[in-house]
Amino acid sequence: MAPDGLQALQDALAAENAAIYGYGVAGAMLNGEDQASALTDWRLHQEARDTLQAMITKLGATPVAASAAYRLPFPVRDAQSARRLAATLEEGVTRAYLGLVAVSDRTLRTFGALAMQAPANRAAAWRGSTVAFPGMPTPGA
Amino acid sequence: MLAASATSVPMFLVLSACAGPDPLAGPPPLSADARGLLDAVAGEQDLISIYKKTMAAYSPLASALAPLLAEHQAHLTQLRARVIEPPGKTIPSTAAARPAIPGTREAAVAGLRAAEQAASTAQLRRLAATSPSLAQLYASIAASEATHVTVLSARDLART
Repeated sequence: MAPDGLQALQDALAAENAAIYGYGVAGAMLNGEDQASALTDWRLHQEARDTLQAMITKLGATPVAASAAYRLPFPVRDAQSARRLAATLEEGVTRAYLGLVAVSDRTLRTFGALAMQAPANRAAAWRGSTVAFPGMPTPGA
Repeated sequence: MLAASATSVPMFLVLSACAGPDPLAGPPPLSADARGLLDAVAGEQDLISIYKKTMAAYSPLASALAPLLAEHQAHLTQLRARVIEPPGKTIPSTAAARPAIPGTREAAVAGLRAAEQAASTAQLRRLAATSPSLAQLYASIAASEATHVTVLSARDLART
């Protein structure tokens, strides 16, 4: 495994850890169907975290630990900002998996390309619209 | 002998494949990377064509499909920007596929969904052996097409 692959896996794990924390915040501000969706998505991120941790451990490295708290990108005080946070978290995870697509290991590239599709879909669901280039740094670039 | 060396494959070069061609040697063979890029361009052109025909045949679908069509046009722009056309040559700008649009709205939406899924899978096949930046473009387009499959799976879309 080239070192770029391991670093990209750690970056993806860090993004999953941040999403797990963020969904805890968002879920508290949501109710009804939105809260149920947030709970489902929170569990999916935990599963993805476990997968990444196992991949990193298998490479003989120590998975990055989650922080106790994360600074939110904007204040989350109501359902609307909670949905926006969920979309932002999914965009961050999508971007992290797209980072794996640039590594030299072909298996990891394909893993990253497949793994980014679920968060891209969840981001679109929370946002209420699709984008042309999920995971790319600037929309339309 | 210059003319005899022409191949039936259109001569387009990918940025990353420009390795000092000998002007007397005739066109170099097209790299796998360049063929993949041209396939991706052709695939987007086909999708755009299917969307336009579907929207023309089923006007109530037009407003729901327009954002997806716009995203495919953005994909095509980005893919075409990676292709270098030698002087005197142009990339075909029309779709190669001429699929018939199904006779019911449900079947037309199902056809679009299948075309998006196939396109997304094709992008994934291209990204293993290419440059990191082109691989990321394919992966991002594949993810975009995956979100289109979701939009096209919405229960009310085929009936609106």
